[in-house]
Amino acid sequence: MFERRLYFHIDWALLAAILALCALGAAMIYSTTSDPTHAGTSRLFTTQLYAIAIGLVMMVVMMTIDYRAFTDKSHLIYIALLGLLLYVMFFGMVQMGARRWIPLRVFNLQPSEFAKIGVALVLAKFFGENRGAPGPLDLAIGGALTAIPFLLIVKEPDLGTAVTLLPIFLAVAYLAGMQMRILGILCLCALLAAPFAWKFAMKDYQKQRISTFLDPSQDAKGAGYQQIQARVTVGSGGLTGKGFRQGTQGQLRFLPVAHNDFIFSVLAEEQGFAGVSVALGLYLFVILRTLEAARLAKDRLGSYLVLGVLASFTFQVVYNITMSAGLAPVKGLTLPLMSYGGSSMIATLAAFGLVLNVRMRRFTN
Amino acid sequence: MKARLSIIRYVVVALFSLLTASFWALQMLQHAKYQELADSNHQRTLPLRAPRGLVFDRDGRAIVVNRGSSSVSILREHTKDLNQTIRLLASVLSLDEAEVRAVVDRHRREPAYRPITILQDASLPQLSAVMAHRLELPDVVVEQVPTRRYLDTAAAHVFGYVGEVSDKDVAEDESLHSGDIVGQSGIEKIYNGLLMGVDGARRVVVNSVGREMRTLEEEPPTPGKRLQLTIDADLQKALQDAFAASGFNGASVILEPRSGEVLAFTSVPAYDPNDFAAGIDRATWSSLNTDQLKPLQNRTIQGRYSPGSTFKMAVAAAALEEGVITPDFKVSCPGHAVYYGRSFQCSLPNGRGHGVMDLRHAIEKSCNVYFYAVGNMVGIDKIHKWASLLGLGEKTGIDLPNELQGLVPSPEWKRAATRTHEKWYAGETISVSIGQGAVSLTPISQAVYISTLANGGTRVTPHLLKSIDDGGGWTPAKVPAPKSQVTLKQETIEAIRDGMWLVVNGTGTGGRARMAGYDVSGKTGTAQVISNEGLRAARGRTDRDLRDNGWFVFFAPRENPRIAGAVFVEHGGHGGVTAAPIARHVLETFFAKREGRPLPPKPVIQGAPGAPGT
Repeated sequence: MFERRLYFHIDWALLAAILALCALGAAMIYSTTSDPTHAGTSRLFTTQLYAIAIGLVMMVVMMTIDYRAFTDKSHLIYIALLGLLLYVMFFGMVQMGARRWIPLRVFNLQPSEFAKIGVALVLAKFFGENRGAPGPLDLAIGGALTAIPFLLIVKEPDLGTAVTLLPIFLAVAYLAGMQMRILGILCLCALLAAPFAWKFAMKDYQKQRISTFLDPSQDAKGAGYQQIQARVTVGSGGLTGKGFRQGTQGQLRFLPVAHNDFIFSVLAEEQGFAGVSVALGLYLFVILRTLEAARLAKDRLGSYLVLGVLASFTFQVVYNITMSAGLAPVKGLTLPLMSYGGSSMIATLAAFGLVLNVRMRRFTN
Repeated sequence: MKARLSIIRYVVVALFSLLTASFWALQMLQHAKYQELADSNHQRTLPLRAPRGLVFDRDGRAIVVNRGSSSVSILREHTKDLNQTIRLLASVLSLDEAEVRAVVDRHRREPAYRPITILQDASLPQLSAVMAHRLELPDVVVEQVPTRRYLDTAAAHVFGYVGEVSDKDVAEDESLHSGDIVGQSGIEKIYNGLLMGVDGARRVVVNSVGREMRTLEEEPPTPGKRLQLTIDADLQKALQDAFAASGFNGASVILEPRSGEVLAFTSVPAYDPNDFAAGIDRATWSSLNTDQLKPLQNRTIQGRYSPGSTFKMAVAAAALEEGVITPDFKVSCPGHAVYYGRSFQCSLPNGRGHGVMDLRHAIEKSCNVYFYAVGNMVGIDKIHKWASLLGLGEKTGIDLPNELQGLVPSPEWKRAATRTHEKWYAGETISVSIGQGAVSLTPISQAVYISTLANGGTRVTPHLLKSIDDGGGWTPAKVPAPKSQVTLKQETIEAIRDGMWLVVNGTGTGGRARMAGYDVSGKTGTAQVISNEGLRAARGRTDRDLRDNGWFVFFAPRENPRIAGAVFVEHGGHGGVTAAPIARHVLETFFAKREGRPLPPKPVIQGAPGAPGT
């Protein structure tokens, strides 16, 4: 399966940028979670290193097998994924009020993170087999394929992760030639649905987060607290930052879950605008390089797959970084490649395995 | 498809440009603002309370020290919900929530970095309760506060007491901050500027739940200056023991007659200054204030009492110095005398007379008739002049707050004091001659008066401060200058001293103060608190104690006196019976200590409370 010459077509630059971001993230996790009064490294830091290692193995696995083999079996993968999500719904582990995890020995598996790959595969396959621009029926079927895992994840509840599925559908449909008119209608529907969602579907804490975002000072010590602290954290970093492990906001826990959702704030505080520029540059490079892979892909299937994976990734990166500067409502969305989290790390690296896969097989038949 | 990929690329690049611009704005343009916010987030300034200066007696024994205590305060700097904190803290400390809220409201306008003290001198269970709830109370701090401890509680009126500074004082004095503990009375107040130290501060890094992570800088507090008082703790104790044994209330001050150093000073009943040290509770405060016996009143400098016969030496001094009489001037006492159509009684019961008296024996026997005659010859103006020169009816200027002025009447005083500008009647002079009538004097002025007679005419300023240690060793305090100085004629001094010596060592009224070999010289006084007619009318119809007040003023030895003083016994009846024994115990202690003998045991004095006055 793995031909030796494929080795030369691996996008080493992309891989290097990804690894650089992983290293940057791990360093920040080390900074925020190790206790200076205790010797040794923090448990979270070591766990993250294991997750990166496992993720790299998964990446290799995803590269080795031709992506068309995955898309051919995408319906099975998709169904297995739904099974996992259902399993979580009934038997999953509850943490922080949400049932999201399947406890494994080493870490807790979060199937919703892998749902992105499943959805990207199945949508790539579905739209890739269609000839010409997708009609309304195609869009409806594609939408339904996205909506099923979406709803299952929303139920956990984990609105943040669920929302990351939507860009996959939108991006793939868009690339497949969805008419702009339909896109416009979808946007209109979303706008019209918003008040109803506000009234019926959203939980109180979600409403509060949004209203607080619009005016953080109205609840400076409650829901607006994190947002204000995020801005203080980032703003106090200045040009060169306070230095590694010298941050006060993250180190002294003024910012909650600094190693997770707010890892980028910590980077901004400790490494300043300089560090932020490097990280943003790396992310932009990864995204543009991946877009390049989509452009170079041998077939539409490959392009769709790469773009599906990328859409979810980009959405999450942009949203998280915006949030970590206190410029978006606080939502439990991790920053792919940098935030602490085993499932997210493994799923992201696996997804980039597919990206590398598509690119290196651009000349094969 | 290629076109759409390009559009996506542009959108991504645009988004990232926007992000970069946002971070530029936050991190570069608004950096200063957020830097400041981050600093105030994690840094706290905690005051380090300066201990007040220690106070020592004249032998260098500590009499006022400090003890450690913990107070619980709210630091509002980062309080998320002050109401919640108040509610929780009140329940944790078992305090009334409304009271806690009232305390917080009182300090609400102060800068948020100054802790608001909710509970002073917290008990161990209260402290552990606060510790146990630390995570829920991140804005509550426990401060170590040095608190006053008075080892000798009965000298309360010398020490005064401390308390939280009033808003008015904070407004007037820039060096004071709300919440400071300052002297409210006594030397604590007069010497507050010396005793009060300068608080230090500690800048610490705290985490988001208020736990201290490390200290950034520490400015240690400067303790207050140490003071040495002129008080002799042994003598002070002797005086208090003697008063306690007598069972009476009253006041007394013992002086070194040439310098005016106060050796002992008491006012009975007293309060316990320790009750104030860590904030007095409302019940104790109101009971002190409503107590009929007025324990907060410093009788020694604020009580004004008729001096009775102790005033006679002032009349004698006036007559001798003005050349109206010589010590050999004689008057025959038939037991009473008639002046201006009114009969005045002598001191002996049943109208008996003393016979022919000269000045020395008139003082010894406290013969009223003799002094009626002398007073009448001298006149009120001269009596007033010489009483004032000896220190009577004047403020002594002792280094204690709120001293009151006594009164030796004069025609001018009467004109000014009465609404109809009444003129002086010569008959009033007769009453004044034996220390009755309008004469009213503070015990401290009586002590100065007797010191002036003892030292030959120098009206010393009594004072409590002996030396100051401002950290670089003891420096003697400046001795306050005498209030006035006259050189009494040797004849005057000799005659008065002889008379006073006879009071104690002859057949006079002060025999209970006699100490063989020490030539104690003194004068008793027994002053009515109500006229004889009034007494008859009021008998059985009032709860007021109508017994006479007793006095004993003294110095010793007769030549080169080392000690002088006044003892005032409230409703003690005859001064010779109740006041003289108190003086004697003090004198015994004084001379025993001077000569290195063991101090006398606590006295048991007859004349228990409730004994009828004479």
